[in-house]
Amino acid sequence: MTALMALIRKEFASLFGSPTAYLTLTMVALVTALIFFDHLRLYNQILFVYASSNMGGFESDTIPDYINLWDAVFFPVMETLGLTLVGAVPLLTMRVFAEERARGTDELLVSTHLTPGQIVLAKFAVTFLFVTLMMSVSFVYPAIAIERGGLGAQHLSAVYLGLTLHGIGLAAIGLVCSAFTSSQLVAAVSGWAIAFVLWDFGWIQPFVSESMARALDSIALHPRYGSFSEGIVSLENVVYFAGLALVGMAIARFSFDMRRVSG
Amino acid sequence: MRELALAGFVAITFGLGSYYATNHFGAFSLANLSLGGLGLLAALVLGARRLRFTGGPHSRPVVLHGLGLVLAAIVIAFSAERGAHHADVRLDWTFEQRYDLDASLVDLIEQLPGLKISLFYDPLDPRIRRTRLLVDEIARHGKKVRVKAYKIDKVPEKLEDYGIGSSNSLLFRRKDRYQVVERPTEGAIYEALYRLLSVEAGVIAVLRGEGEGDPEVTTDLGYGGLASMLATEGYEIRSLVTMSVREIPDDVDLLLAIAPQRGIQPVALDAIRRFLARGGGLVALLEPGVESGLEEILAEWGLRSPDRVVIDPAFGESSGTEAQGVCPLVHVYESHPITRGLDRNHMTFFCGARTFELRKPEVEDELRAVAQTSARAWLSDDLGVLDRRGRSVEHAGEAQTYRPIAVAGRYVRDDVETRILAIGDSDFASNRYLRALYNLDLIMNGVHWTAEREPQIQLRPKIRSTVQFPLPVADSLQMLYGVGLLVPEALLIVGGVVWIRRRTA
Repeated sequence: MTALMALIRKEFASLFGSPTAYLTLTMVALVTALIFFDHLRLYNQILFVYASSNMGGFESDTIPDYINLWDAVFFPVMETLGLTLVGAVPLLTMRVFAEERARGTDELLVSTHLTPGQIVLAKFAVTFLFVTLMMSVSFVYPAIAIERGGLGAQHLSAVYLGLTLHGIGLAAIGLVCSAFTSSQLVAAVSGWAIAFVLWDFGWIQPFVSESMARALDSIALHPRYGSFSEGIVSLENVVYFAGLALVGMAIARFSFDMRRVSG
Repeated sequence: MRELALAGFVAITFGLGSYYATNHFGAFSLANLSLGGLGLLAALVLGARRLRFTGGPHSRPVVLHGLGLVLAAIVIAFSAERGAHHADVRLDWTFEQRYDLDASLVDLIEQLPGLKISLFYDPLDPRIRRTRLLVDEIARHGKKVRVKAYKIDKVPEKLEDYGIGSSNSLLFRRKDRYQVVERPTEGAIYEALYRLLSVEAGVIAVLRGEGEGDPEVTTDLGYGGLASMLATEGYEIRSLVTMSVREIPDDVDLLLAIAPQRGIQPVALDAIRRFLARGGGLVALLEPGVESGLEEILAEWGLRSPDRVVIDPAFGESSGTEAQGVCPLVHVYESHPITRGLDRNHMTFFCGARTFELRKPEVEDELRAVAQTSARAWLSDDLGVLDRRGRSVEHAGEAQTYRPIAVAGRYVRDDVETRILAIGDSDFASNRYLRALYNLDLIMNGVHWTAEREPQIQLRPKIRSTVQFPLPVADSLQMLYGVGLLVPEALLIVGGVVWIRRRTA
């Protein structure tokens, strides 16, 4: 346990000892703030156009139903951030195992009394915590803006819970890719490819049966985290992302076995 | 092998990326996906061959152990997900509690086992995701509910058969009956399911011929909404022209009088008296300034209605179309089946109402003031206040107290039970105000009670308006500078300091 904690501390120190972590946090926080502000500004503008005096004002029913915080702000922000994470998270995870492998330091790790399972657990835990921190940092501005308006803070929390779980799922995929290669480039590109494949199986639906389409839909990322953007927090979707992380850890651990076998 | 894998992954990324960007699965996407798949397959074969050559008999248990762990993780993850699916725990964190179905809708769904729901959609229609969640919620509450979704362009014969014209339409089927909802809201679904239930609640005769409100008119001043709702909840609506009435038909359960504007023929009034005496029900909506003869009948049953206008200064702020205090918001309800669920938070809205005074004709009679004004209300003899738009009405020294606006009487004479509901306003049930606040529930529950159909009394689903208030731009901008940009700036500075220290270390 002490060794595991030491490894987690070492991973944290290594992560925050380099400017990459700060740059990633900065980029995600900045992109979130700008996207959120832009949608909020656009929402306000459209609302005022509809509510201008010659169209009846806020009291009337002249504002179309689809112009609301939910559709005009939360949903597009969630969609854009979801895709941003697909792009950003594999860049974050590409070095975790691949760098150690390229430098040969993974051999040193294995030679300590840490088991492959513990090594994988430590690396996954640190990455998941970083993803959570990244989403928390990006949550600050939208949360304060929404809280000042006195509306929808709970819904926004659901959106961010969904985004955090989505980020954790993507991190699990990225870490698996990183665990099987010593090339950071291969890790990143394969992470993107697998994330894109798992994102949404809408593209394959014309070629498969309805039941197969439903089965594929149930393992896709987008429908799972999409329901969070609707304000629905379901145990099923939370467990899906937790399961993805668990399977990711098992596969990453398997990479150590493969390394022992293939040399 | 790595080069092949890299090329394969890049091709798949671009193939799917182009699909997500354009939402079109064209030659570019197809070619990239095919080549990418082939590349990955080749890389996999090469990898497997390498594994076979490097791995000996000693390595087999290691690989099998690793694969076993992966398999176990997949089984655990799959089982846990399925378990959570069946446990069906979900929280609605929307501001409007949009997916917490109304109790009345849940009751209705439970009464319709084996319901089949079909969703017709266009994949690009953004409303679909919300409708799917609503349908999921309905399916959760029903027994053996089956849900299917159809792309609207794939099933032209179904569109033709059921008269479906647009995306985001729901088709509800049960046995040989069906209902289509084109803009699915809880209220619309509730009404469709009620029609599917095909309740036979009785016959309502609507008095006509003396300037009463018209149940066939769908404009603001008409009562088409009320008639439609009565039909939805199982009543057969018939017109009864009072000029030619000698006797109310035996199969009529209830009379509905919507503010007659002239005196009803004495012969018709006598027919109404006989109808009530033999246990018929009466729902009478009155208006100030009119004496149609119904007031006389109501007085005979202990429901006297002086021809004066209720002024309630508690809700005196004028909307600009009426005199101040003429349109009371009612939140004082007596405990009665009609007012089940109505309270301070479930108000009703009246405009230009008269009041009632209750005097029991017999000791056993039950008379109740089911809905009353605030304690500050008084009565005005000046009917002209109804036309004084936006002006204040001077208090003429009349005592201020609670004034009944809706009253209900239950009478048992020789084992025959008669029920009467009288309301001192008819506008509240017009198309203009029917769906304002809880007006619809008051009139519908009043009709159900008068028709002795208490189990049908409930509060119906309301339209849940979405959040359409602006977040002030100045505030948003302050927040952007104060938090949105400050946090990334601070992070960048810290990152820069770390980088410089590492370089100089």
